[in-house]
Amino acid sequence: MTVAGSSPLATGTPRSRRSLSGSRLQGISFGIWTAGVFAFLYIPILLLVVFSFNSSRLNIRWEGFSLQWYGALFSNKVLITAFQNSLIVASVTTVLATILGTVGAWMLYRYRFPFQRSLGLLIFIPMVMPEVLMGVSLLVLFVQFLNLPLGYTSLVIAHTTFCFPFVLVGVQARLQGLDPFLEEAAMDLGATPVQAFWKVIVPYLMPAIVSGALMSFTLSLDEYIVSVFTTGSQSQTLPLKVYGMAKVGLNPQLNALSALFIAATFAAAVAGQFIGKRKHS
Amino acid sequence: MKTKTTTLLSALAALAVAGCGKAPETAPAENTTQPQAPAAAAESKQLSIYCWSEYIPQSVIDEFAARTGIKVSVENYASNEEMLAKLGAGGGNYDIIQPSEYVVEALVKENLLHPIDHSKIPNLKNLSPQFLNLPFDPGNKFSVPFMAGTVGIVWNTELITGDIKGFSDVFKPENKDKIVVLDDAREIVSWALLSQGIPVNDVSDGNLEKARGVLANWLPLVKVYDSDSPKTALLNGDVAIGVVWGGEGAILLNEDKKFRWAVPAEGTHLFIDSLAIPKDAKNVANAEAFMNFILQPEISKQISDAFPYTNPNLEARKLLTAEQLANPASFPTDEEIAKMETFKDVGAQSSKIDELVTSLKVQ
Amino acid sequence: MAGLAAAPGANDAQNYRRAPGLFAWLVLAPLLAWLVLFVVAPTVMLVAVSFAERDALGRIVWIFTTENYVRAFDWLWLKVLLVSVWYAFLTTVICMAVGYPVAYTIGRAPPRWRSLLLMLVMVPFWTSFLIRTYAWITILSKEGLVNSMLLNAGFISQPVALLYTPFAIVLGLVYNFLPFMILPIYTSVEKLDNAMIEAAYDLGAGPLRAFSQVIIPLTRPGIAAGAMLVFVPSIAMFAITTLMGGGTNPTIGEVIFKQFTSGRNQPFGAALGTLLLLIFILALWLTRKHREENA
Repeated sequence: MTVAGSSPLATGTPRSRRSLSGSRLQGISFGIWTAGVFAFLYIPILLLVVFSFNSSRLNIRWEGFSLQWYGALFSNKVLITAFQNSLIVASVTTVLATILGTVGAWMLYRYRFPFQRSLGLLIFIPMVMPEVLMGVSLLVLFVQFLNLPLGYTSLVIAHTTFCFPFVLVGVQARLQGLDPFLEEAAMDLGATPVQAFWKVIVPYLMPAIVSGALMSFTLSLDEYIVSVFTTGSQSQTLPLKVYGMAKVGLNPQLNALSALFIAATFAAAVAGQFIGKRKHS
Repeated sequence: MKTKTTTLLSALAALAVAGCGKAPETAPAENTTQPQAPAAAAESKQLSIYCWSEYIPQSVIDEFAARTGIKVSVENYASNEEMLAKLGAGGGNYDIIQPSEYVVEALVKENLLHPIDHSKIPNLKNLSPQFLNLPFDPGNKFSVPFMAGTVGIVWNTELITGDIKGFSDVFKPENKDKIVVLDDAREIVSWALLSQGIPVNDVSDGNLEKARGVLANWLPLVKVYDSDSPKTALLNGDVAIGVVWGGEGAILLNEDKKFRWAVPAEGTHLFIDSLAIPKDAKNVANAEAFMNFILQPEISKQISDAFPYTNPNLEARKLLTAEQLANPASFPTDEEIAKMETFKDVGAQSSKIDELVTSLKVQ
Repeated sequence: MAGLAAAPGANDAQNYRRAPGLFAWLVLAPLLAWLVLFVVAPTVMLVAVSFAERDALGRIVWIFTTENYVRAFDWLWLKVLLVSVWYAFLTTVICMAVGYPVAYTIGRAPPRWRSLLLMLVMVPFWTSFLIRTYAWITILSKEGLVNSMLLNAGFISQPVALLYTPFAIVLGLVYNFLPFMILPIYTSVEKLDNAMIEAAYDLGAGPLRAFSQVIIPLTRPGIAAGAMLVFVPSIAMFAITTLMGGGTNPTIGEVIFKQFTSGRNQPFGAALGTLLLLIFILALWLTRKHREENA
């Protein structure tokens, strides 16, 4: 930091130019890396989309173009119902887990509750507990102690239980280093604690909340073992219908279903992007 | 940022609502069935099936529903033990379950099945006597055979030369890292017992020690353990030979001429997957009607068309093509079947069998 | 630089935290109720079952025994646990290295692109797990995409065994857990102050130094959260390891699962599960204590 004697202008300019190119270099290499990682994430997805147009039933070799699996999918009520169930359960789970996780993380951060540390440890139990233990113990709890019939409710409770810690941990990370005066400033301006939380803290936490919601939705959508034990016949989700399928070869209708869902999500996301852009400008 | 999030969430919500639209009409059904005697059950037009996934074709279930007006709900599992664990913990009210033979025996022993009224199932006469009145359920008081099958050896003739007759030809040092076997401790131990001339159900501690000696040489040669789809590794060329379910073998033989099939010379397991009625079933008459329905030749044929296991229904076999019947993995010869054994329930020994195989896998 | 790295406000946290009033308790109540009903109660049941005997079907018989624990303290199960922890550790480290630049790029992207990119990370996992995994099997098999490309390019003359190897296991785990590393790190990167980064560069730090001394320490909470979300669930994960690894090396999740299924010994499975929970809670508690003492 000894710049004594030399003109600040003379030394400042080349330094900032060098660092700029440094940050640019970093930006470019990270960009390339990110593109590579996206390719890695999408390679199997590309393959499953390709195989949804395969005429062979076995998902292993390409044997010719066909739309038969899409046709068959639309008349396969069981698969479509199961997929709807999956979406319902995942959506409700996401809402519940996000609320529980976000509010929980904030309360544990903002207040000193007795047994605070034990509470913080308890939250990790659903994450580390093997799925079969969680499924069976929740099943016993629902059937023998709570007298809760197995169905949507029991399934959503079970899914929320293993999803909300993911939200909570993510939100906690975002809270670390929160400016304590953010909330106080809002309250000085006359906001109640609830208003301050809603108007100031929630927007600040939004990236973590969105991440947590995305993770919950994904975890719930794909859960098999916990679902086996906690669902009833009316709320069969897609993984339950899919799991035994490998015996006779995974049905390419599943590829078709996945391809359509991804396409729909992309369409919705791009539309959202477009609408968002118009609002911004 | 905020608008983006809300569009994303509302897109998801819209998807969910689209699904919800249909949900309520089906949702409250399950728990409205009143407990009742079998005689009155005919009035309740419901049937709840708990079965293997991909075993009863949907077309069969739809046809049953259409003909009888009974509303059928289906729940699936991927292994006998998943079903046992759920049933054991008191989950679900099922009218039909689909256990394998040794599980039928265990359930009968524990008094968990409802006896079947044979007069309600006249189509029992279509079944081959080979699959009836077996030790796991004498007189078929509690179970009706659904499909049968076996475990055998399948190999890729492009990669394996020489003739394969039995387990001793599979587990040879030159086949190291070329073998796929079922990921099923009971099966694996039974092969070792058979190679020693011990019946598959004699799982005393002494015999398990003998099996350990054999498996200590066999298991290090194995590349893949897979019960769900051992055919994948064979089709992909990652392994050359496997000990797999007959159904898997049948699919491989249909798929490519380079695969060949053998029933092990040492003997093997004949499994029989049955339909049974849990003791607490609420719609016994409907369950019996379903059993009778799937024993009709043309219905049973549909099942064989979808899943190439051994169909125990002789009348249905008459409707199958010569090609289907000629598949040696689907339909073993009578002499071969005579040499096969069904599994008996081994109760608490299953824990030791499991530990034996696990300990040999962990090296 | 060290001063920059410390999370601002960390020292104030002690004073900042308030004693809860009735209202705070009411707001926390749903979470507490949820924890007691669906986390504590099942855990208590699990521990109770681990001291029980079982019948021939593997169901619980309420006779007190410590036999399950005697059996659990065997070198065999410890080895299984170590293998699982090792895979989980490798997965976490690789996810961190692979995921960090992605999270950083997304977090520094123009704000209107961030949600879209974040979703792009997650969407591949809105397909069925089995199809995804079987797609990988098709890619890695001896007659698969990778091998045929390598053969055509002349890099190899014989197909290489990629599938059913430890490599395939780690690849499968990394693939499936990567988003759970990227998302929390993104949350930390997103709130980085531009001025802080520019200051680091202005002070003459090269990209490497700016990164290791400013940016990474500032995003440490996100890295720690990501490590948790990847490491913890991947210990008990077994579907991927068996499908892609060939099942030759059982993991703790698989062993416990089999006690509930083919092993028909629920109490023993419960004992193994209880031990896993205990080891984990102890490790977490020690880390936190250590961290608090250092702080």
